[in-house]
Amino acid sequence: MEERTNLAQEFKKGIIDQNPLMKLMVGLCSALAVSNRVENGIFLGIAATFVIFFSNIIIATIRKRIPDQVRIPIFIVVIASFVTIVDLSMKAYFPAVYDRLGVWIPLIVVNCMILARAEGFAYKNSILRSALDGLGIGMGYTLVLLVMGIIRELLGTGKIVLFEKTIITLGPVNPPLIFVMFPGAFLTFGCLMAILNMYEMRKKE
Amino acid sequence: MIERILRLGLTLLLVSVIAAAGLGLTYAVTKERILEQKKAEELKACIEALPEVKSPDELKEDRKLEDRIKKEVQGVSKVYTSDKGEVIVVKARGYGGPINLAVGIGKDGKIQGVSVISHNETPGLGANLEKEEFLSQFKGKKHKDPLEIGKDVRAITGATVTTKAVLTDIKEALKAHAISGR
Repeated sequence: MEERTNLAQEFKKGIIDQNPLMKLMVGLCSALAVSNRVENGIFLGIAATFVIFFSNIIIATIRKRIPDQVRIPIFIVVIASFVTIVDLSMKAYFPAVYDRLGVWIPLIVVNCMILARAEGFAYKNSILRSALDGLGIGMGYTLVLLVMGIIRELLGTGKIVLFEKTIITLGPVNPPLIFVMFPGAFLTFGCLMAILNMYEMRKKE
Repeated sequence: MIERILRLGLTLLLVSVIAAAGLGLTYAVTKERILEQKKAEELKACIEALPEVKSPDELKEDRKLEDRIKKEVQGVSKVYTSDKGEVIVVKARGYGGPINLAVGIGKDGKIQGVSVISHNETPGLGANLEKEEFLSQFKGKKHKDPLEIGKDVRAITGATVTTKAVLTDIKEALKAHAISGR
């Protein structure tokens, strides 16, 4: 029984307790850049989750055979391969989104969130645990991108467009563009962190 | 010592070979589709640029002409000819990366339409280059027109670099057309 709760914990911790963006503060650069639209956030989130999930599995599988001295190059090769797979498939099947995400897809390679999971978790844990961990961390990342995307797109453009369909509009207003540009990313992220911290401090008291 | 180094090297080699094989496979699977997508996107923009042309079959590639133009005009990446006029695909450096445009030029040497293939400009500023009110002002322009901001072109507010890149694109397309007519 305890074993099972532990496994669920492995998945859940990435979403809140060890959320890569809100708690570990890794992978921020890409998150700030692409969270200007909900659709971008979803796609980058899925791409990163795919990479982190499979690279965690592969690394956990071969971890006992990896010599300590060359582990980092091996991690990078594994991660880079999955990123390239995502890159090529996205280019082939979702060209419009690929155009907008541009350099951020190949840049998943250097996202420290993923290398940190490989080095800090998958290298020391079983395949199942690593897979769950990867999935959880990826979901946590996607979730924050989604929330930031909703706030920024709605405030910055006055509407949310998903797969070429307008989901919500604020009506005929002149929206503050700043939210879809870089300063808006920092504002939104800062406010989200403040809210989360406030909530946790309240809980502690 | 040597043995250990060898072992490390070989492990790394093995991992890399497996990774390379996997990537080769993915590339082989997606290659065709990527090319198709790119082509389809370009053709769609080309048809939009030349309103009289209704289907992509009417556009023909002319490699000889294209090579001749490329030698003289920078930034031209493709030339399509048809009975109704030419579409010239041009690329200039914008604020956030290359701006690819398809410029349709009729038989009379006047621009019939301009459409955007791809760009990476700032949303809300440079990205306004997609707007009809900006692109439509190039209709009827011909080679040797001044094409200067403030003179015969309205710039995009807050996006001078983007506007200038678009102007470069359009001037180049007109120059290319002048060469092909020669």
